[in-house]
Amino acid sequence: MLQFKLVLLGDSSVGKSSIVHRFVKDSFDEFRESTIGAAFLSQTIKIEDKGSQQEVVIKFEIWDTAGQERYKSLAPMYYRNANAALVVYDVTQQDSLAKAQGWVNELKTKVGEDDLVICLVGNKLDLCSGEEENSSKPKAVESSEAEGYASEQGLLFHEVSAKTGEGVRQVFQSIGEKLYESKKHELAASKGRHGVGETGNVQLQRPSTNDATSCCS
Amino acid sequence: MYTTERRPSMAERRPAVVSMSAQNVVPHLAGIEDPLPDTTPEKVDVLIVGTGMVESVLAAALSWQGSNVLHIDRNDHYGDSSATLTVDQIKKWVNSVNQDLFSGCYNNAKLYVSTSVENHNGKYASRDFGIDLAPKILFAKSDLLSILVRSRVHQYLEFQSLSNFHTFENDNFEKLTNTKQEIFTDQKLPLMTKRNLMKFIKFVLNWEEQLQVWKPYANRPLCDLLVEKFHLEKAQVFELLFSIGLCYNMQTGTPEALQRIRRYLSSFDVYGPFSVLYSKYGGPGELSQGFCRSAAVGGATYKLNETLTSYDPNTKMALFGDGSQVYVTEKVVTSPSQAPRDSKNMPPQKYEVHRLTCVVEKSCEQWFSEGESAAVVVFPPGSLKTNNNEVVQAFILGSGSEICPRGTSVWYLSTVQQGSRAEMDLDAALEAMEASLIRESSTDLERDDSLVQFGPNGETLINSVRLGQSFKQYVPREKIQFLLKLYYTQYTSTPAFNVVDPSFFDINKTDSDDRLVPGASDNGVLYTAMPSGEISYDEVVTAVKVLYEKIVGSDDDFFDLDFEDEDDTPMNKADYENAIEDDEDVDMNVGRHESAEFVGEMEI
Repeated sequence: MLQFKLVLLGDSSVGKSSIVHRFVKDSFDEFRESTIGAAFLSQTIKIEDKGSQQEVVIKFEIWDTAGQERYKSLAPMYYRNANAALVVYDVTQQDSLAKAQGWVNELKTKVGEDDLVICLVGNKLDLCSGEEENSSKPKAVESSEAEGYASEQGLLFHEVSAKTGEGVRQVFQSIGEKLYESKKHELAASKGRHGVGETGNVQLQRPSTNDATSCCS
Repeated sequence: MYTTERRPSMAERRPAVVSMSAQNVVPHLAGIEDPLPDTTPEKVDVLIVGTGMVESVLAAALSWQGSNVLHIDRNDHYGDSSATLTVDQIKKWVNSVNQDLFSGCYNNAKLYVSTSVENHNGKYASRDFGIDLAPKILFAKSDLLSILVRSRVHQYLEFQSLSNFHTFENDNFEKLTNTKQEIFTDQKLPLMTKRNLMKFIKFVLNWEEQLQVWKPYANRPLCDLLVEKFHLEKAQVFELLFSIGLCYNMQTGTPEALQRIRRYLSSFDVYGPFSVLYSKYGGPGELSQGFCRSAAVGGATYKLNETLTSYDPNTKMALFGDGSQVYVTEKVVTSPSQAPRDSKNMPPQKYEVHRLTCVVEKSCEQWFSEGESAAVVVFPPGSLKTNNNEVVQAFILGSGSEICPRGTSVWYLSTVQQGSRAEMDLDAALEAMEASLIRESSTDLERDDSLVQFGPNGETLINSVRLGQSFKQYVPREKIQFLLKLYYTQYTSTPAFNVVDPSFFDINKTDSDDRLVPGASDNGVLYTAMPSGEISYDEVVTAVKVLYEKIVGSDDDFFDLDFEDEDDTPMNKADYENAIEDDEDVDMNVGRHESAEFVGEMEI
C-alpha cells in the first residue's frame, strides 16, 4: 500500500472538513480502512495501474486544519512532507476564489516537495443547483474562471457538493491517480534499493518485545 | 479558589460520537467536526499564553479533558521558549533579547552568522536550519513518551535513535560501554572492574528495595557509594554519573543519581539497543506544534501574533494587544517569557542556564553510531582546561536529523554553571571538540604513508597524484568552519532537577486570588516554568500535571484518552501501555534490530 499525506486549505467556512467527511464516511462501507482518528483522517482508494492493469491501493493520510488557519496559525509541521493539497473555495462566495489563490501561493512557498499535487475545489455546488428554486443562490464564481486559473497553475480542478456527495469521490480519485503517476518510478526504484525502512525512524507505537523491564526483576 | 464543579471528562462528554460501526467509536473531535464560530470566543474556560513545550502539552490535556481553551502566542511561530527557529528567526530573536523584550528570562545573547548563510545567494538558506532554543532528548521509557503515544501526537512526528554517549577524558572522547557485550569485551577493563560494574548495574535496577545498600548514603553523593561499596574506579564512576546518569556535578545525591542512572538503563532496549530518542526536524519546537495541533483537534482556539495585556481576577476579563478581550471562567496560564507588561507576580527566575549553539561545516559522522545522526558528549567536572565544577553537555545532531543540510552539524552545548565562569567552560568544551575533530580528520590520511609526504620543513604534503581529484579537497583543515555561533543565558525558576520532584514546579504555591498586587497586570495568573538545564524532557509532564491539577482539581483524567481507531489494539497492555498494534504500511516499517542482550540479565 502506498501512503500519501494530503492537507486541506482554504478559508474558514468554505466546507473543507465536510468534503473530507463526506469522502471518508461515504466510502466507509466499501472500504474497511477508513478511520476518523485523533491525529488525522485516513482513507484508502483503489486505482488502476495504466500499464499493468493491476489494482493499486492508495492510503490518504488527511490533515484537517482543525481551525488553525483562522488566525494564520498553521504550523510548519502541517505543510511538511505533504504530497497533495486540497485548496477549497465556495462557489457562492466571490472573494473565496481569490483567497484560495492566496493559499496556493502559500503552499508553493511552504512545501518543499516538487511533485506536490494541488487540487482546486469549488464547494457548495448544491446551493446553486436550481432544483430548489427558493433556496438557490447565484453561482458567484464561474467554472471557467476557476478552471482557467487552475490550468494556468497546473492544478487539478473539480466542483463538488459535500452535502450531496456530488463530485467528491472524483476529487480523491484524480489526486490518487496523479500522485501514482508521478511517484511510481521513484517508488519502484526505492523499493529495489532498500526494501523497507528507508527512513530509519523509530516507531513509538511499537516497543520491542525485548523489553528491558521484563528481564531483570 | 477553583471550587467550581469539574466539567465532564472527555469520556463522559461523548454524545457526539461518530458512530460508523459498532467497533469503531471515536471521541468527539470538536476542532474538526463542529462548525467554527465566526468571531473570537467571548468566553473560554482557560486562557494559555505562550506555545512552549509545557503550555502546549497543557493545552492538549485540557482540551481533551473538555475545557474550552484559547491558546495565544505573541510570536508569529509556535514554540516560545522552546521554539525551533530558522537562522532569520534567530536573528530576530537575538535582537528581541537584546532589547530586553524577555525581561528576566534571557539575556546576553551574542550571534555570529557566516556570510555563506547570510547572503541571499549564499551556499545555505536560512530555512535549511532548525535550531532549538532548548534542545532535549527523549528517554524510551518516560512519561512524555507514553503521552505522545496515548494522544497520538507521535503520528505527527518522526523519531530517531541516539546510542552514542561519549565522556571526554584525558583529552579524548571515550565511548560509553553500555551493553553487557561491550563491558565484557572491553580489553582495557580489568576483570575485577567488570565484576563490580555488573554488580552495581544489577543493584540499580531495583535500588529502592535494597535499603541496606544505599540508606547510609542517602544524604551523601552517589560517588561515595560507588567508590566505597562497589569499588568502582574513576573512569566507571564518571561514566555512570555523567554519561549514563547525565548528572551535573560530583555532589549529586545518592537517590537522585540512582534514579537518573536507572532511567537510562530501563530505557535501554525498549525500542532497540539504545535508550534515547530525539525528534526529527527539531526538538521541543516540533513537539509543541504537535501538541498544539492535538489541542486544536480537541477544540482549542489558536491565535498567534497576539499578546496578553492584562488580566483582572475580579472581572475575569483578559485584555489583548489588539484591543479584544475574553472572559475566562477558570484560569489564565502564562509563560514567564510572555508575561504582560507591568507584571508583578512572576516567580523569581533565579537559576541560570548558559547555552552555546554552533552550526559547523562538518558532518561529524565519526561521532555517531552507524546509521544514526546524533551523539551526546559530556565533559565531566575537572575535564576541561578551565577546571570546570559543573559538567558541560553537548548534544550533536547531523543532517540525518533534518535540522541542517548535508555536510553540516549542529552542536548544542550547555551548562548549569552560574555566573561568568559558564561561558569560559562552554568555550573550553567547544575548543576540545574542535581539536578532536581536526585530529580525527587528519589522522585518516596520515595513516597511509604513501598518501602523505613531508616537506623540507616538516609540513604535510598530500600526494595529490595518488589521491586523485576527489581527495584533493580532503586536505586536513586548520580550522573548522562555523556557519553560526550563538551564545545566550536563559533564566528559570526551576533547577536542573535531580529527580522529578513536583515541588520544583509548584511555583505558584499561594493561591494568588487572595493576594492582589496593586497595579499589577498579572494578578491571579498562573506562571509556567521556563525550560531548565535538564537535557531530557523528563520535567515537562510533571510540570504540566501540577498546573492541570490546579485548574481541573485533580489529575485523574489527565490524558485519559481512548481513541479506538485502527491503531488501537493493544499487544500486551499489561507490560507496556504504549503498545498498540501497527498498521501495515510497508513504507513506514523499520527493520527490526538484532536483539541485543541487556546488561541486567547477566548472572554474576
